[in-house]
Amino acid sequence: MAFEAVLTRNIRKPGSDGIDSYLASGGYQGLRRILKETAPERLVDEVKNSGLRGRGGAGFPTGMKWGFLPKTKDRPRYLCVNADESEPGTFKDRLLIEKDPHLVLEGIILSAYAIECQLAFFYIRGEFHQGYRTFERAVGEAYAKGFLGKNIQGSGYDLDILIYRGAGAYICGEETALLESLEGKRGYPRIKPPFPAVVGLYGCPTIINNVETLANVTLIAERGAAWFASIGRPPKNTGPKLFCLSGDVKRPGVYEAPLGVPFLELLNEYAGGMAHPDRPLKAAVPGGSSMKILPASKCDVLMDFDSLAAAGTSLGSAGGIVMDSGTCMVAALLNIARFYAHESCGQCTPCREGTGWIVKILSRLERGEGRREDVGLLADIAVKIEGNTICPFGEAIAWPVDSYVKTFRDEFEEHARRGACPMRPATVR
Amino acid sequence: MDDTSPPPHSPNLPRPPAGAAGAAPQPGPDEVALVIDDRPVVVKKGTTVLQAAEKAGLLVPHYCYHPGLSIAGNCRMCLVEIEKVPKLQIGCATVVAPGMVVRTGNERVRTVRAGIQEFLLINHPLDCPICDQAGECRLQSYEKDYGRGVSRFVDEKVHSPKRYDIGRSVVFDGERCIKCTRCIRFCDEISESHELALFQRGDHAIIGTFPGKPLDNPYSGCTVDVCPVGALTWKPFRFKSRVWFLKNVPSVCAGCARGCNVYLAAFRNRLHRMTPRANPDVNAYWMCDAGRQSYAALYERPRLERPVVRPSAAAWDAAFDRAAELLRGVAKSRGAGALAGIVSARLSVEDLHVSRKVLGDLAGISRLAVPPHEDGADDELLIRRDKTPNARGARLIGVGGPSAGRVKEIVDDVAAGRVRGLVVVGEDLLELPGVTTALLDRLDVLIVIDWWKSPTVERAHVAFPACGYGEFEGTMVNFQGRVQRLRAGVRPAGEADPVWRILRDLGRRFDLTSEYATPAAIFDEVAATVPAFRGLSYKVLGETGAPAAEAVAGEAYAGGAPAVGGAGLAGSIAPAGS
Amino acid sequence: MTVPVRPETDRKIDALLGRYPKKGSALLPALYLVQEEKGHVSDESMEYVAGKIGVSPAFVAGVVSFYTMFHRAPVGRHHIQVCRTLPCALRGADELMRHVQARLGIRDGQTRPDGKFSLVSVECLAACDRAPFIQINDREYGPVDAAAMDDILKGLE
Repeated sequence: MAFEAVLTRNIRKPGSDGIDSYLASGGYQGLRRILKETAPERLVDEVKNSGLRGRGGAGFPTGMKWGFLPKTKDRPRYLCVNADESEPGTFKDRLLIEKDPHLVLEGIILSAYAIECQLAFFYIRGEFHQGYRTFERAVGEAYAKGFLGKNIQGSGYDLDILIYRGAGAYICGEETALLESLEGKRGYPRIKPPFPAVVGLYGCPTIINNVETLANVTLIAERGAAWFASIGRPPKNTGPKLFCLSGDVKRPGVYEAPLGVPFLELLNEYAGGMAHPDRPLKAAVPGGSSMKILPASKCDVLMDFDSLAAAGTSLGSAGGIVMDSGTCMVAALLNIARFYAHESCGQCTPCREGTGWIVKILSRLERGEGRREDVGLLADIAVKIEGNTICPFGEAIAWPVDSYVKTFRDEFEEHARRGACPMRPATVR
Repeated sequence: MDDTSPPPHSPNLPRPPAGAAGAAPQPGPDEVALVIDDRPVVVKKGTTVLQAAEKAGLLVPHYCYHPGLSIAGNCRMCLVEIEKVPKLQIGCATVVAPGMVVRTGNERVRTVRAGIQEFLLINHPLDCPICDQAGECRLQSYEKDYGRGVSRFVDEKVHSPKRYDIGRSVVFDGERCIKCTRCIRFCDEISESHELALFQRGDHAIIGTFPGKPLDNPYSGCTVDVCPVGALTWKPFRFKSRVWFLKNVPSVCAGCARGCNVYLAAFRNRLHRMTPRANPDVNAYWMCDAGRQSYAALYERPRLERPVVRPSAAAWDAAFDRAAELLRGVAKSRGAGALAGIVSARLSVEDLHVSRKVLGDLAGISRLAVPPHEDGADDELLIRRDKTPNARGARLIGVGGPSAGRVKEIVDDVAAGRVRGLVVVGEDLLELPGVTTALLDRLDVLIVIDWWKSPTVERAHVAFPACGYGEFEGTMVNFQGRVQRLRAGVRPAGEADPVWRILRDLGRRFDLTSEYATPAAIFDEVAATVPAFRGLSYKVLGETGAPAAEAVAGEAYAGGAPAVGGAGLAGSIAPAGS
Repeated sequence: MTVPVRPETDRKIDALLGRYPKKGSALLPALYLVQEEKGHVSDESMEYVAGKIGVSPAFVAGVVSFYTMFHRAPVGRHHIQVCRTLPCALRGADELMRHVQARLGIRDGQTRPDGKFSLVSVECLAACDRAPFIQINDREYGPVDAAAMDDILKGLE
């Protein structure tokens, strides 16, 4: 069965970011129907039954997350859209925001309706200037046409949305750090429990969902849970997915395919294969730089949550980064270690001190001042960080260090042995 | 557990012998039963694992947790294993659940702890030999108990602003800081002055202030108390003494009517610092900067070290005899009404009891006045406008509370020549309104008992050297009506003696028969004769004091919790389960 | 204290104070408004914003220093941000950065003395399919190689 692109069906149309184009292609029909015919709890069930799992990186079942909201309504509920896309290798949310904002917005309104909230926040990373302007315009259009504000489409449901700009901090993509930032503070992740569904924004029950997740809610409302669950690899890995491919490929880009598409198919058919014919695949990170790396020999794998977990890595944000034989793995790890050291919020001991330490060791290794024991030391630092931090940033640095060193141990030891990078000059290439 | 005293760091206690525990206690309706390191423990609902472990006699090491501050959970030192939970959990933030099984010292936990220690030390400067915190430093103590003792870090450490005045009296060393945020939380939650914040992120994160707005609140010294390492140090104490040489004596501050519980720390018979001692009913874990430095006056003013019979030093007996003679002389020639006494509310209950006995009953001085010393206002936390520590005690003991009116009466009578003889105990008259040297010169007899060579002492016909703060034992009654014990941290300078003993020996010249051998004995007499002190004794008072009984003339006890507004103090008392 | 921004900005900030369920949320948007007008956030501005929001100046300074997009000191008229993270590095971002530094005569983190250009390496801008990717103020360019960079700079000189 040929796969019908649904998430990206509008993006190539001229004016796709405007509401007229969106309405003309049948947009907001799902919302209209749901508001008229479907109680919020039923929509929650529909999303549960679809099998939709969060598209931000954790892959947590969306309907189940919504179900964690307390039954009592003594405090307002909030929906926060996580548009802080900052995981290296990931650029799919940007695509939706810039090219089909209404697909996202309809999903936001539907989700807010489902969780019975009256105020939603769109937290967008500060660097997305174009995305901010585009989405702001889209929100204005939605208000003007009665899809936001009071008594939406005559349903009696009210919803307002506020767009909030981040200011340059990867950690604010973590749910509770996002909330802290939204409250006007330093983006420090909170201790959990309590979880946001119970104690979230301003202490009130809050759901945080990724942009792509919410776009999928639009599709589920439009076509039903059964349709959604038939795509991909049911029952646990359902739906269409946006996959990002970057690095040493001919055609880096966002590609829509069902969950479970083979990685090699994405690489060779969608992205045109390796960028340089004389430099074969060496390694790939399937889900953003935080996920464990796969050597070429293990890249024959299906791109869904459970298959990649079984392969010892993770789908994450589906930000696939491809590295060819010209890549020095020590330099590559050093590059992303610097990312994590720069982005560590600094709140808790293992991450704050460990990320800086890892960079220092890798720097020495790469410039030829590494010692034999540095390789084992790196691995042990990763062990001491993983599981001991306030938030998953600890895993985000520990997993790459652990997997690069395990998978390419020879290369790391060679740097120490030789007192130089075997692939001089000392850049990633 | 007292979290501010120089911590006697105690490693985990030995396990109780098998079988000794017997049947596990049953939890009540508001309680939870759990097991920690094979010890059954029952605590109130809402208690954290760390607090429950404390109750079971186990120390879970921690840096950022402080019972008087909100939970931060950032140091990760208190990670413990909870059965059926895959990841280790921080004990400070995990609330106990029925049937929970916790392990605080197995190999997995100890390995992680050693890891945390290593991380904390990689950018920490090797300052121990020059750092004041050595000996009461958590990083040091925990490294000894939980660390591997070696570091695998061979790179350049992160450097930070080091050793600068972050406030009037607080020095900050950014390199020693472990970013536990206790100091920030203190300034936000307790002093509510918000001068401190964290700047930047990652391993460059650093505590700081806004330019031009230093750490300047009246409780800034408490940030030094809560700092687990030597990042924040108290300027007057820097390099003065190694803490393991200090002898700590529990006492009470005499800077105002709050009577914050303190430790006096002395080395070689010299007081080097005062630090707060936890008392949930009086001062929680805190004290103000003025109080913290209040011992310093002992060394800043010239001491009166020997009795004086003007113009020269004299022997005690000679001085007592002369004083008695002078007082009798005035009484005889002008009548007892020509004598008056000024006694201080800075004196102890014992001092004041003997004052009333000797001066009032025996020497015939019917008028005793207590000068008020008020400054500023009561703040929302600890500071009282009344700067005397025992005003309430003076009232209860029958000497009368501070009264500007009564003092003025006496002063006016001196000016008018109706009062010819004055006994002054513990006050510098020239500080009082309307008192001039000329006025003092009108007196025929001026007897002074004080600890320093005040201008009043200089004009006395007979002067007796008294103990200063920190040199005497006794009790005082704070503004709440709480009776608290003071202890001496140092021996008195020169020949100085406690006020009660000086007055006792003067009293012998007036046929005083009471033995008054010790302050405890005097207090026992007070307890037997003064209704407000009924049922009390030094033993009953213990280290944290006790309320005076419902007393006469509306002097009821002002309640158990400190009378403060806002979340400031009330929220900082150790929570349920402790 | 004197208000360090134009009345119009002051009014906009006042409008922010009532927009969110809790006033504290107005901090980041207020800082953006100040920076929009003045190009950076000075100590004076931080104290002013602190007063508006009802937090301490130290708190505001701590927030400003946490986020990379708030500048405590003025940046160049053209603030060039070059992504350095792995996907861009794999496509030549390191060489691009070296090239820009050489062309402008300044290093990463510096502003040219004439104030026209400042240069900073930034982390992933979520445009890895257009690597090497850069932003100049709020405009995007990618993929950018040395030649393309020269064209862009020429246009801005």
